[in-house]
Amino acid sequence: MADLFWASMTELARLIATKAVSPVEVVRVHLDRIAAHDKDLRSYITICADGALAAARQAEAALMAGRPLGPLHGVPYGLKDLYDTAGIATTGGSKILADRVPSTDATVTRRLAEAGAILLGKLNMVEFAYGPEGLNPHYGHARNPWDGATHRLTGGSSSGSGAAVAAGLAPGALGSDTGGSIRIPASLCGITGLKPTYGRVSRAGVLPLAWSMDHVGPMTRTAADAALMLTAMAGYDAADASSSVLPVPDYRVALTGDVKGLRVGLLRGFFLDAATPEVRSGVEAAARALAAAGAVVDEVSLAQVTNAAPAVLAIIGSEALAYHADTLRARAADYDPEVARRLKVAAFITGRHYVHAQQVRGLIRADVDAALARRDVLLAPTTPMPAPALDERQVTLGDGPSPVRPALIRFTQPFNLSGHPVCSLPCGFTAGGLPVGMQIVGRPFDEATVLRAADAFQRLTDFHARRPVLG
Amino acid sequence: MLPAMTSHPIDLDTLRHGARLAGFAWSDAELEEIRPQVEAALRLLRALEAIPVGDTGPTTHYRTV
Repeated sequence: MADLFWASMTELARLIATKAVSPVEVVRVHLDRIAAHDKDLRSYITICADGALAAARQAEAALMAGRPLGPLHGVPYGLKDLYDTAGIATTGGSKILADRVPSTDATVTRRLAEAGAILLGKLNMVEFAYGPEGLNPHYGHARNPWDGATHRLTGGSSSGSGAAVAAGLAPGALGSDTGGSIRIPASLCGITGLKPTYGRVSRAGVLPLAWSMDHVGPMTRTAADAALMLTAMAGYDAADASSSVLPVPDYRVALTGDVKGLRVGLLRGFFLDAATPEVRSGVEAAARALAAAGAVVDEVSLAQVTNAAPAVLAIIGSEALAYHADTLRARAADYDPEVARRLKVAAFITGRHYVHAQQVRGLIRADVDAALARRDVLLAPTTPMPAPALDERQVTLGDGPSPVRPALIRFTQPFNLSGHPVCSLPCGFTAGGLPVGMQIVGRPFDEATVLRAADAFQRLTDFHARRPVLG
Repeated sequence: MLPAMTSHPIDLDTLRHGARLAGFAWSDAELEEIRPQVEAALRLLRALEAIPVGDTGPTTHYRTV
């Protein structure tokens, strides 16, 4: 079947369930594409070819025997190498954990397997998830599949997840998001990435960066696929005390395509006004498209978000150092030097800073809640600029020049502080052919409305359906 | 609070003191290497200290209903 690697997870599940295609063929097609392109893209750290084919044969046998099938039966996916996989190395993108082989799966790994999904491999990432550019000195820098002439950043820290899904090396993947690490690569690589509400998805068996900021979520090419994965993964887990007992709906049911009367707040000021002209016009055009489809769009500002950066420094810095302190003392030289620097700097953050930051967090959360009291979702750019080149150190934003790193996380990190669900999806392309991403922010545990809005936009447009040309 | 939290730039003695308080025995070379980032962080933390928070309680977890 032509171009099976571009089929969505939803479509693959249907093709497999109706016996139009074998899970073995689906896995083989993806393994072949990985073999052909991943030396250049460096999206995978570990490829689980034998395991994936064995699982695919079992899936085929179950299908032929008429056994009940899970919603992801036979559908392959990739896992950011932060998620424990029993018997398979989970490196955290590090040299320090290069030989770490967990004996148990992370909860979400197990839940996806129970839903029938097949693991293709463990995906590249920034070491210990601590960075937004997508660089890794141990396993190679993942390469953005758009603009083959220039090595552009994928964004991070879920760099391999972004590159693999965008390039057809996996139909879907899991990432994690502590300051933007699902949404930034989703934006720069032109795919869909969902940071659910904090507590919606279990973090048990996922290597932490910052416990109170980490979020687990899907990275796919469509909102419908994000809904499919979320439904399979979400829900209370006794092994994660922060997970919510709220029931998990079937998020696919919410995807009606209807946005009539949906109240959308377009975020000006800190967000839109700071974006580059092409990003700004992409998001504004998206707002007009939603309005034309019946949404009610107004403009809103969030006064407290300018305080996000120092609060994020204090919280992520303190929590990450707490987790890494012993290893940093014993093996500082084995860290990515950039990651080691960030960890060391956190030694100068005091407890008083940490508590003050958590108070600022309360202000930001209240600010977002207030904006959503009279609206269903908020709309903003995900990143202020498209994918920078690898050697770019500075970008020019709407409000002046900025180093690349703080620019990448500027629009995403407030919602890690607040915990609201956010979906990033492509809303346009620059004149140079680079994807532009926008984020849809919803009320806590209202992933259904966020995904409905994202899916409706994807029914109106085809940005999510464009494909990079690989060499 | 470290004196250097309110002064800028930060000297090596203060870097050594801060690292020791945090439980790390970094060499002078290691401390010099991170000095620019520490100074940048301290500027950001001074901005944090200036944000009025009133009676807002610290938020460490969300509405994990």
